[in-house]
Amino acid sequence: MAGAPPVSPRAAHLILNHLISMIYKIFRVSTILSADSVTWTVRVFIVLWSILVIAPLLLLLAFSFFETRSYMTVYDPSLKTWISLFESGRFEVALRTMRIAVTVTLIELILAFPFALWLAKGCKSKETKAVFLALLTIPFFLDLSSRSIVWRAILGQAGGVNTALMQLGVISEPIDWLLYSEFSVHFGMIAPYFPTMFLPIFLVISLIDDDLINASNDLGASPAQTLRRVIIPLSLPGILAGIVITLGPALAAWVEPGMLGGGFVNLLSHSIESAYTALRYPVVAALSAFVIVLLAVILVCVVLVVRRAANIENIFRQMHT
Amino acid sequence: MNMAGIPLKSEAGKFSTGRYVAVNGWKVFAKACGIFAIALTYAPLIWLAVMSFSSRPLSGVPYPLSLEHYRALTRNPAWLEPFASSIIIGALVAIVCMILATAVGRAIPRARRPGGLVLFAIIPLFVPGMSMGAALFIAFRTVLDLKLGYWAVFFGHVVWALPFSLMMVLVIAVRFDYRLLEAAEDLGASSWRRFWDVEFPILRPGIVGAGLFGFLLSFNEILRSTFLRGTEATMPVWNWMMAASQQSQVPIIFSLATIVLFATLPILGGFFWLLFVKLDKD
Repeated sequence: MAGAPPVSPRAAHLILNHLISMIYKIFRVSTILSADSVTWTVRVFIVLWSILVIAPLLLLLAFSFFETRSYMTVYDPSLKTWISLFESGRFEVALRTMRIAVTVTLIELILAFPFALWLAKGCKSKETKAVFLALLTIPFFLDLSSRSIVWRAILGQAGGVNTALMQLGVISEPIDWLLYSEFSVHFGMIAPYFPTMFLPIFLVISLIDDDLINASNDLGASPAQTLRRVIIPLSLPGILAGIVITLGPALAAWVEPGMLGGGFVNLLSHSIESAYTALRYPVVAALSAFVIVLLAVILVCVVLVVRRAANIENIFRQMHT
Repeated sequence: MNMAGIPLKSEAGKFSTGRYVAVNGWKVFAKACGIFAIALTYAPLIWLAVMSFSSRPLSGVPYPLSLEHYRALTRNPAWLEPFASSIIIGALVAIVCMILATAVGRAIPRARRPGGLVLFAIIPLFVPGMSMGAALFIAFRTVLDLKLGYWAVFFGHVVWALPFSLMMVLVIAVRFDYRLLEAAEDLGASSWRRFWDVEFPILRPGIVGAGLFGFLLSFNEILRSTFLRGTEATMPVWNWMMAASQQSQVPIIFSLATIVLFATLPILGGFFWLLFVKLDKD
């Protein structure tokens, strides 16, 4: 799932087996373990998480229905803040944010799916697998600002790419759309958002039983048919998880567009930031809630499209009979 | 892909050569995709390290070389406070995540509805960083009227890192063989001994992973920190401010980021070696 650590396929199979036999185990274990301590821990955690996560999110939603008058928040529920959002040209910003986030997510999907497929099923060397998984997990921990600012030096007018191209005589003047443009924002977002798309897809494809794929081949399916009718339907949960945890952060992208957009690519995150600086908290709340709503809407669309393309339940029914 | 696996099978001969080429073409394409993304990730890092030795890091060429920016780091200690606070917050987040993830991680498989609980615990993964930061800001600052600062950053980071940590522990906890605890009880071990001598050693890699994720995710967190920091600054926030301002401070973050990079890479490399190579052998 989501940011789960990479697991070797063998381990993944073990997990699956254990999950299945867990129901039986829980039944037995409850007689051995002090069941009290388990329910107690779970209860404390639910309370803690409700205070730290659920309550703030509900407050955020509530705040979006208040408004700001002369730097003071007026606690008088109305739709004014939401209406003003769409009247102040932020709609255009929202559309741009959505377009860039969806484009980046699609690019990641196109890059990540074939690679995940190859690493999970095509690559036979354990060492290669481990190295690639490590290489793709390490970036989670690296500072985004310093990684992004480097592109300025590479893509800028006097930067590496332009200097090299000019010396080679390919171009006579520096290309100016390389930096501070939508191109550079998309380009800079490819690397940071790749692992979140790759890891869930990889995990799910690793869990597909090789026998299913072999059976499909033995029955005479072409590789393309096996891909379309066996592998893609079975990896849909991973693809969906990848889309969720890539699209969410992409909708809230702030560092890359700030560093590489040079003020020309204004996204929702910048609107949130400027509203925050202006102490207009209901606007902050409405915009933040809007990002969450946007994510939810796109997801529902994706799920609907996927449902139409392949009836998930049907696939599982076929698998088990 | 068993698109890719096909040629490895003994009866592969029955496939036409054309199909072979198509499958191999896919393999090349698939590898190219991954290597492209990895190159885009690591090229900036290498460039960062190289340019930290350049006298003009934001230019296109590394020459002339100089150690000026490393010297500037020692002359201008403004980065020390954000750096230290990030390390302390990271360490606290790591400890709290280790404890919480262990407690909750071993409880979840035994709870009545494990699936629902896991979903509940990973909600923060589905909320964009900016929105979660704003939500916590409104709760802490506006509703509870508290003075924000490092403590709020700490809570924001725990909310962000705990789902990851929890999954590290869960991966091992769901494989746990409960017969071991039965055996320990039959042999007369107290509930504490059962945990410390039997359960803990088995869960340890997951707990270590939980701590590592907690620390590093907190150390690099920026979106939530921006809202929750009050007037304080953590390392990524400071980096961002230096990088966003068009001033002479920019070169410093090159040398600083390089030092941090070379400090974290060996830790991560070691951890992954442990995870993949050593655990796989056991």
